Amino acid sequence: MSTLSLLLSLAYLGLVFLAPGALSNLFGLLALGATAFLRLSPTWRTLNLALLTLAFTLGLVRSGNTLGLIGLVGILVALTTLPRIPGGIRVLLGLAILLLSVPMAGFANTFIFELGIQIGIYAAMALGLNVVVGMAGLLDLGYAAFFAVGAYTWAIFGSEQAKNFMQGNFPLPGEYMYLFMGIAIVTTALTGLLIGLPALRLRGDYLAIVTLGLGEVVRILANNLDHPINFTNGPQGITPVQRPPIEWFRELMGSLGVRLDQTTDYQLFFYLLVLLMIGLVVLANVNLANSRFGRAWVAIREDEVAARSMGIPLLPTKLLAFMTGAAFSGVMGVIFAAQRTFVSPESFTLLASITILGMVILGGMGSIPGAILGAAALTILNLDVLKTFSEFVRTSLPQIPSQVDPAKYERLVFGLILVLMMIFRPQGLIPEKRHKAEMEEA
Amino acid sequence: MKALEVTQATKRFGGLVAVNNVSLSVNQGEIFSVIGPNGAGKTTFFNLLTGIYPPDEGKILLFGKDVTGLPPDRIAKEGVGRTFQNIRLFGAMTVLENLLVGMHIHIRVPYFHALFRTPLARREERRAEEEAKRLLEYVGLSQRKDELAKNLPYGEQRKLEIARALALRPRLLLLDEPAAGMNPRETEELQAFIQRLREELGITIVLIEHDMRLVMRISDRIAVLEYGSKIAEGSPEEVRTNPRVIEAYLGKGAAGGAA
Ligand SMILES: Nc1ncnc2c1ncn2[C@@H]1O[C@H](COP(=O)(O)OP(=O)(O)OP(=O)(O)O)[C@@H](O)[C@H]1O
Ligand SMILES: [Mg+2]
Repeated sequence: MSTLSLLLSLAYLGLVFLAPGALSNLFGLLALGATAFLRLSPTWRTLNLALLTLAFTLGLVRSGNTLGLIGLVGILVALTTLPRIPGGIRVLLGLAILLLSVPMAGFANTFIFELGIQIGIYAAMALGLNVVVGMAGLLDLGYAAFFAVGAYTWAIFGSEQAKNFMQGNFPLPGEYMYLFMGIAIVTTALTGLLIGLPALRLRGDYLAIVTLGLGEVVRILANNLDHPINFTNGPQGITPVQRPPIEWFRELMGSLGVRLDQTTDYQLFFYLLVLLMIGLVVLANVNLANSRFGRAWVAIREDEVAARSMGIPLLPTKLLAFMTGAAFSGVMGVIFAAQRTFVSPESFTLLASITILGMVILGGMGSIPGAILGAAALTILNLDVLKTFSEFVRTSLPQIPSQVDPAKYERLVFGLILVLMMIFRPQGLIPEKRHKAEMEEA
Repeated sequence: MKALEVTQATKRFGGLVAVNNVSLSVNQGEIFSVIGPNGAGKTTFFNLLTGIYPPDEGKILLFGKDVTGLPPDRIAKEGVGRTFQNIRLFGAMTVLENLLVGMHIHIRVPYFHALFRTPLARREERRAEEEAKRLLEYVGLSQRKDELAKNLPYGEQRKLEIARALALRPRLLLLDEPAAGMNPRETEELQAFIQRLREELGITIVLIEHDMRLVMRISDRIAVLEYGSKIAEGSPEEVRTNPRVIEAYLGKGAAGGAA
């Protein structure tokens, strides 16, 4: 077994040198599968993972083929979930992937940065929604509304838009983005309070429907608040939105020997910023989960009557979960607006809410690595796999009519994945121990 | 001051009067039992005391304070702990976590301290955990600390539920059929345990119980409900020989026979 998997990994490393690209990367995924699922001793497994990290990185740098990114994500998952890998190795390999492999691949193919940033933004949001749905058990179908409020909070003042309704020197300089990350925490938490106060008095299906409706209200407001006073610039959206100046970052990178050009400097900056945010959000998640608040949320989810009889007030506790999730999403909205320099209502549809929820469910409700994996899987699926696949269909099978373009079936594929999940692995890809226990009960 | 004072409490479910104009009072430090046939309204009476339902009429005083209509969490904060007839543990949490939830109101960590896990938060968490462990020792569940509550055998689940109620540091403890499903030996242990709670912790205890041997041995006083109404109240001896009680339990015409 050990030799087989090692041979596979080495073969992939060789392939990467001879013929980097989609096919060799597919082979690499096979080798990763072997490493993860065959019975290997911890040493062999660790060795294999290190080899594969090297190979996927080289593959990405040499070909820019995004399957390599899936491989790296896979290794990260293996590092977080497989038993008996030394802790130091986990941390070291993980950091190497996040801080070296992905940036190097990004320089070869900037789309990798784009993917990494999108994955990161969605992962942070999935972690926020995880507090609401996974811990507190509140089914929120309007979560993208908070993302929208965060994004618009910065977009309006970080562009000329604010001139339409107030005096002042707009756009605010890019540095203000950091301040607005804090302000967005407040505005989105307040939005959470506003939506939560009526909605959270309801239970289960009713809560889902009402949050869905109120989420849509936010999007429609963004769509229509261009008259009588132009707050949001309606469906055209707001552009350009300021980005923070990054001279200091260029210098810092320069002193580390990294030479950045005009296209990659902001990409790398936002990629690292998003990584930092995920780190903070994970920390907040873990801290809350192990506090009286996290326990109160789980208690309410499990048995409201018993929880209340322990002195846990229902509405305030639920509101707190709701506002916490909202704030996570709001901060990421600010980064989203700045990174794309463009904000429009289209990014905050019901589908966006459902996609984020799908990430949480796919990864495993309540599970932190699960939420991140779910975000990675669905973002790569949406932005990359389906598009690549349709390109492939269009070029190699031109006789197929354009109506069956796979990229148009995003929702179908997405739905299919969730249905298969519910049948074969209802507890999610990386289940959290409590939800697993609850599932077994049912 | 009485531990509990209920005046003319009534609760209706549609046409059904589940609790009908019930008045009673419990002295501090007393062990007080509420008995009655199935469907008599005993559990509903507990639900009125703990705020799960507000009474349609009547008044409830806890240690002299009017708590009528307050929600359950507020009443819990007044020092009322309870268990449930059909055990309601947090099954997917560990035994220790169940107790920590029970201690919720005594863990004083503001939100932002919890978010950043500040030294204050750590200290409070550690203190709470110590207390929870002591409590587990007290009820004899130390070995089970890290097991999921739902995996405990029935008898230990009952114990854990009492422990969770104790974690609240209650002044008044309401136990809904604590001996249900127990064999005579376990029931005896339970009796000793409840008496210890009063002696060592000074808690006032109200219990609903069908096991008459236990009720007669443990209670200072007993109230009897039938069809939502209180039909008798008094010492075990008085209740045992009360003709209306005998009738309620054994049917009409049985009065005068053995109880
Ligand atoms: N939520 C409710 N809605 C409607 N009816 C209820 C509700 N709760 C209790 N009842 C009814 O009220 C009456 C009293 O019920 P309760 O559970 O208080 O009886 P009990 O004395 O505890 O009985 P047991 O000894 O079987 O536990 C019953 O007829 C019951 O069906
Ligand atoms: Mg009952």
